[in-house]
Order: sequence, then C-alpha cells, then structure tokens
Amino acid sequence: MGVGPSTKETSLHHFRDPLIKVLGEDEGIDLMGVLVYGSPEGNVEKIRCSRTAAVIAECARPDGVIVETDGWGNLDVDYVNCVNEIGERGIPVAGLNWSGTAGTFVVESPYLGNVVDFNKNPEGIESNIVGENNYTEDDVRECVKRLKIAMLKKERGIK
Amino acid sequence: MAANDIELRRLVIKAFHMTDVRMGDENKITTDGKMTINNDCLAALTEKYSSVIEKVDVEVIDPGDHDRHTNTIMDIIPISVKVLGKCGEGITHTITGVYVMPTGVDTEGIQAHEFGSSDGNLKDMLYLNRAGTPADDDYIISFNITFKKGMGQERYAIIDAYKMVEEWMNTFRAQLKKFEGTKCTERHEYYDKIRPGQKKVLVIKEMIAHGAMLDTWIFPDQPSGVEGGKSLIDYGCTPIMLTPNEFRDGAIKAMN
Repeated sequence: MGVGPSTKETSLHHFRDPLIKVLGEDEGIDLMGVLVYGSPEGNVEKIRCSRTAAVIAECARPDGVIVETDGWGNLDVDYVNCVNEIGERGIPVAGLNWSGTAGTFVVESPYLGNVVDFNKNPEGIESNIVGENNYTEDDVRECVKRLKIAMLKKERGIK
Repeated sequence: MAANDIELRRLVIKAFHMTDVRMGDENKITTDGKMTINNDCLAALTEKYSSVIEKVDVEVIDPGDHDRHTNTIMDIIPISVKVLGKCGEGITHTITGVYVMPTGVDTEGIQAHEFGSSDGNLKDMLYLNRAGTPADDDYIISFNITFKKGMGQERYAIIDAYKMVEEWMNTFRAQLKKFEGTKCTERHEYYDKIRPGQKKVLVIKEMIAHGAMLDTWIFPDQPSGVEGGKSLIDYGCTPIMLTPNEFRDGAIKAMN
C-alpha cells in the first residue's frame, strides 16, 4: 500500500502548497497550471491515468514538467510511468517524491534522475509522524534547479 | 509583477489571525483575534451522524501544550470561506493562528487509519512548522471523533465524519465571511498570469484515490471543504486541470 501519516499531504498543505508558491514567485517561469490525477488501485487504471496526464502535457507544449506525489509503494507504478511517458516524449522532467530507505522506487525508468527525494526522517522510514516527510520550499527549489538545468540542456542540444 | 506579464485573474486571500483561543459560551470569532469554542452544539451534530458516529469531543490545545495523548490525526484543516467570486478569483477569508485537527478512533479502540496510525503523544506524532501542519505558536482545535464499532475503516463513515467537521466549521465561516476586509492581519494577492518569454512549466500532482482514508476530493463549495466536492475516484482518477489560483484557493481537500 501507499501513503502513511508522515508523507500524506494535509488539506492545509494543499492550501499553502510550497510547490505552487515557489513556482509562482519565480519570474523566470511561466506557471501553466496544475494537472491533478488520482492514483487508483488497479494497475491497468494506474497506467491509463498516468499516461493520459503525460499526453495532456505533450499537447500543452510545456518547456518542462514537474511531477509530484505524496504517495509511495504502489503509487510508484503510476508515478514512474508518468515521469517515463513525459521523458519519452522528449519533455524535460523533474519531480518530487518520498523515497528514504523504506520507500525507494518499486519500478524503474531512465528519467528518474531529476526526482528529488524529500525524505526528512533520519532513518528514511515512514515514521507515522504527521508532516515529517512532507516537502518544503527547499526541496522545491532543488527540484526547480534540476528542471531548469534539464530545460537548458535541451535548448542547447546537450545530452 | 514583471512589465510584460499578462494578468488573467486575481485572487485575494485575507487572513485574520487568532491570538486567543479558548473554551467559552459560544462558537465565536472576532476580528481582534479572539475565538471561543462551545461544545453545546455537538449533541445535535452527533445525533445527525449517529449511524456512523458515537460521540465527538472538541478541545482547544494551546501552543506548546502538546504533551498529551492523541488519536490518529486524520487531517489538518484551515477555516476559510469564499467571500466574493468563484474558486481561484475574487476574495477568500481565512483564519490563521488556529487549525482544525480531526482525530478518529472507534468504540473498540481501533484507530481510524489505513496505512499507519499517528496516535500517541501529540508532541511526538505531529511535526510542526511544515506547510501542512501548525506552527509552534498556533493553537490546535482537536476534533475528536469516536466512530461506531468498525466504522473508522469504512469510506462512507469517513466522508460523513468530514462532513460533520465541515458543518461544525460553518458556524465560524458564516462569521468570517462578514469580517471587515480592511481589518485583516495579512493580505495576499495571487495572479493567474502568462509570463511571455519565460519557461512554460506544468505541474502534475498524483494524489491518492484508493478508498477510505486514502482519498482526495476536488472543487468543494468552500475552500478546503467537503460539500459540493467530488472524489477523484468518482472522476475515474482522470487528470483534471486547475489554474494555480484554483489550487491556492483550497480546491483540493485531503480525505486521508
């Protein structure tokens, strides 16, 4: 299963989301919007929903995409698929995800290099402490930095 | 704002900071930062949701007074209300300095959690000063829900519990809506805008949509509310596009 108390985002987190805050304040970024999709239980639906998100991204012609989730475990299946589908479409992609030691990716993709692990627990575990393993503005800045480098590399034709 | 930015719409969030929260004769908030909580309304509320809820107890936790037991923390909710305009534009009022913390257990002592319970000593189980948690000097309103036997794991019971919390919050929302805007303690202006020539970045958020305690709702009538909203599960988990301002205006409610 997927998300525990230390990674789950509260309603207050959504209301004051550091990701939207930092991107909105960055004058070098034209924040297009926030595409939200649910992470269902079944694998077929997981692949369909996360792929659809990547298709919408392709059609919207962004310079870059940030993919985030507060989930792990089975939620990696759709998360990694989404990152992978975006990467395969040639769109620079970065991300935010909790891994620590207990929640490392259960599936693989060559496009996960710019995903920031926002683990805060010293042992890297799901501690059940509400809010402990939530991403902060610092995590977002690291993620934005990685995305900017990826976008610049694409612009200059650097592999 | 940069000179060539194209402004699409504006959202103004006015915050009213509460500096004194305590039990009192009525459920009341004032623009000068006083909030009183009264539990007389809880009997009727419990009766309304009696098919799934056994009892409710609301208490005020002072800043720093966290060396106490808590049942599993279901959510941290800001009290906000739409004053003018639709979601993502116009004016929203919100209360700062105090947040609502629903907790859940059933009559058999089983915690209302799905994947890990945060019950225990509050000082150990709540990490303060995150975007999604209260700060050191914030009050917490602990909304302790005791479910009927086995109901802490049923999706419809969890939804009912959040509806109940919202109904309780509505007393404060009604007052907050009428607050004189100029008396706010913080005023934030947010714009949906196009920044021509800058890097176009799309955010994709994957949110849990499995079932009870692993659920996310979207587009409630009121910011961070329940009524009028719909679960991502009911949308078939299909991607839905929000403007940044819609997101900032409480369009997403965690139903964890």
